[in-house]
Amino acid sequence: MGEFKSNNDDFFERLARKTDFNDAPRAPSTLKSRIYTKLLQRQNESGPLMSLSEVQAGLCVFEKIIALAPIGGNFKRVNPCSVCHARVLAEHVEHAPIYWRNCPYVGFQKR
Amino acid sequence: MDASSKESSSWNGSQTERDDLSRVSELQFAAAVLAKDRKATAEFVARYADGIYAYVRRQLIPRMDLVDDVVQDVFLAALHNLNQFQGTSSLRSWLLGIARHKVQDCYRRLFREPDPLGAEGPDVSWLASNEPTIEESMDRADLEKKVRSILDQLPEAYSLALIWRYWEKRSAREIAEATGKTEKAIERILARARAQFKRKWNHG
Repeated sequence: MGEFKSNNDDFFERLARKTDFNDAPRAPSTLKSRIYTKLLQRQNESGPLMSLSEVQAGLCVFEKIIALAPIGGNFKRVNPCSVCHARVLAEHVEHAPIYWRNCPYVGFQKR
Repeated sequence: MDASSKESSSWNGSQTERDDLSRVSELQFAAAVLAKDRKATAEFVARYADGIYAYVRRQLIPRMDLVDDVVQDVFLAALHNLNQFQGTSSLRSWLLGIARHKVQDCYRRLFREPDPLGAEGPDVSWLASNEPTIEESMDRADLEKKVRSILDQLPEAYSLALIWRYWEKRSAREIAEATGKTEKAIERILARARAQFKRKWNHG
């Protein structure tokens, strides 16, 4: 159903056409980092994560050590990121100085 | 098909495959996230956060302080409901659907706050008696800056009402339905919002 249009509408419609605010900004890496941490926390709350030995994608150096270590299976399901300095930096600093290969927090800074 | 019923092992998050979305079914990808493959979860954030962020930010201008929380809520809701993802639309569209709902929830909350001038407040249309003009010489960046700055100074319900009505092209009735207010109340808010905006436009 059409709406009554006044001169008032004209000004705002022209303004909206000229300013679409569509500058498509990227999400800050700190936000991506915090979201990832939160998602892993939630996943962990409902049961253990997939074992690092089963994860097929690239592991960071710390994850690799845990995956290869001759330790109990349950330990391979923990989230080492929760105690990692890279996470803390990435959650608070944009372009954080972290360079670990295959670290998701480093990945968020690049994309 | 339920995403969770799929085997996750076929999803491989190596760089090559990550770049080649056509080779990775979104259902398998969703299943990998549901199987708590942490690398799939990281990829889930990396792949979709920019799009969701841009959408939410655009909807919530000038309330930039709310954007991060809403985007996080979208991902948490998505994770919670990912087992319902059927693959009938793209994962991106599915996430944007959740984002739309979250933004509406946010609008509803903000509209629930009392009208700053009261339901029967004074008619302020006289404030905008001088019809404002948009200077043709003003470039888009300056224009956007001015609009954002004015929207930022308006009471929350006013700026959101204007954005929803003119930038999102929603009718007063649609806004009323989404916020739980009457159409008349929305029109009253819009009238006051327009008047305040124009006054600031002319004198700001």
